[in-house]
Amino acid sequence: MNIIGLDSLVFGVDDVKACARYFTDYGLTAAGDGRFEALDGTAVVIRPQDDASLPAALETGSMLRKTVYGVTDQETLDAIAAELGSDRDVKTLDDGSLETTDDLGFALGFQITVRKKISLPGETVNSPGATVQRPANIIAADPNAAPKPRSLSHVVYFVPDAQKFESFYAERLRFVTTDRFTGVGPFMRPAGTQEHHTLFCIQTPPFMLGCEHFTFHMGGPTELMQAGKQFADKGYETFWGPGRHVFGSNWFWYFNSPVGCHVEYDADMDLHDDDWVARESNMSADTSQIFRFTLEENWAPSGPPPPKAD
Amino acid sequence: MTPEAELVTLCGLDELIDSESRGFDPLQRGRDALFIVKRGATLKAYRNRCPHQGASLPWRKNTYLNADGSRIVCGAHGALFDIDTGQCVQGPALGQALEPMDVHLASDGSVTLRLKDLYR
Repeated sequence: MNIIGLDSLVFGVDDVKACARYFTDYGLTAAGDGRFEALDGTAVVIRPQDDASLPAALETGSMLRKTVYGVTDQETLDAIAAELGSDRDVKTLDDGSLETTDDLGFALGFQITVRKKISLPGETVNSPGATVQRPANIIAADPNAAPKPRSLSHVVYFVPDAQKFESFYAERLRFVTTDRFTGVGPFMRPAGTQEHHTLFCIQTPPFMLGCEHFTFHMGGPTELMQAGKQFADKGYETFWGPGRHVFGSNWFWYFNSPVGCHVEYDADMDLHDDDWVARESNMSADTSQIFRFTLEENWAPSGPPPPKAD
Repeated sequence: MTPEAELVTLCGLDELIDSESRGFDPLQRGRDALFIVKRGATLKAYRNRCPHQGASLPWRKNTYLNADGSRIVCGAHGALFDIDTGQCVQGPALGQALEPMDVHLASDGSVTLRLKDLYR
């Protein structure tokens, strides 16, 4: 099943204007119709919570109303419709996309992907012993850079049953588990991508069913740091980070948000193929990150002149 | 004044806007220690710590209320709290409550808090 990744996440919110400002400040581009797009066309979609065209809300009141996956071809859409249609309602919408639910109650969409192929330079690092990545006189640090999110990366759900979650995505949609936190949940990727994870879950009591966070890939760690600092300087509240995760290796910086879940910047995630054997560990502070830092105000060393010699 | 009774001035009463929230970080820790919602003559003050995971609540500076100002909202996972009681009414902190903070109005119109209350 050639599902290649997330195309968009759709939220029904109580403050459309605040969310529009938030996602514009985060670095997405308003594309009309509530779409806030990354450089490759993947997006977060903001609608008023009483919009009748949205799938029904989860009973917990989560603002996440739909998770839309992109696929490469109509054949894949037909295969998904046949597979899921065997035991649940699968609607075909006017635009040809499919709408249904997973086994936990989350509304899902599947469509021919809107994700555009982008061609952008990655972060260049000069390392002793390695081939020079940045030729002479080409400068890396740009205090005026305004890095933009490149691509919708992953979403994390709170679910009451991580086993049920993993079984659905693995057996019905052919997602692959790359790693696992014991008693918490699996990191999963759809078969059409090598990215470490597009989907993760955290097992919690039923009253927490909903979204924990979602994130867009930045071009590299420096872009992530610079975007995060600019976002924080605008008054937005850091939740966790910046830092670097162990599973996935991705850099992270999570912020609070007006859509009822965290919004993250991530960068430099590992890729895996079918030769990879899933790791497992328990989840703790030391297994979830190598390090984390707290943003401080810019500062430079200074002090009084040295005392004059007698 | 004994050290235990030492007071910190948060702001002037006239700086608080009715039905709006404002956060305070008097120890300059980079995260608000508490926030106040002015309800007419009453000041509702709570520690800035969601009972769910201890997260800081606002998603933006001073933004502790939902869109229509009817509830306190946590910008971590969307938990909603009653403004008058601090009880969680929806979301991950259901069954738990925000911790009320004891703010006082001094005779000069300043809103104060005991310093030791900031350290808990």
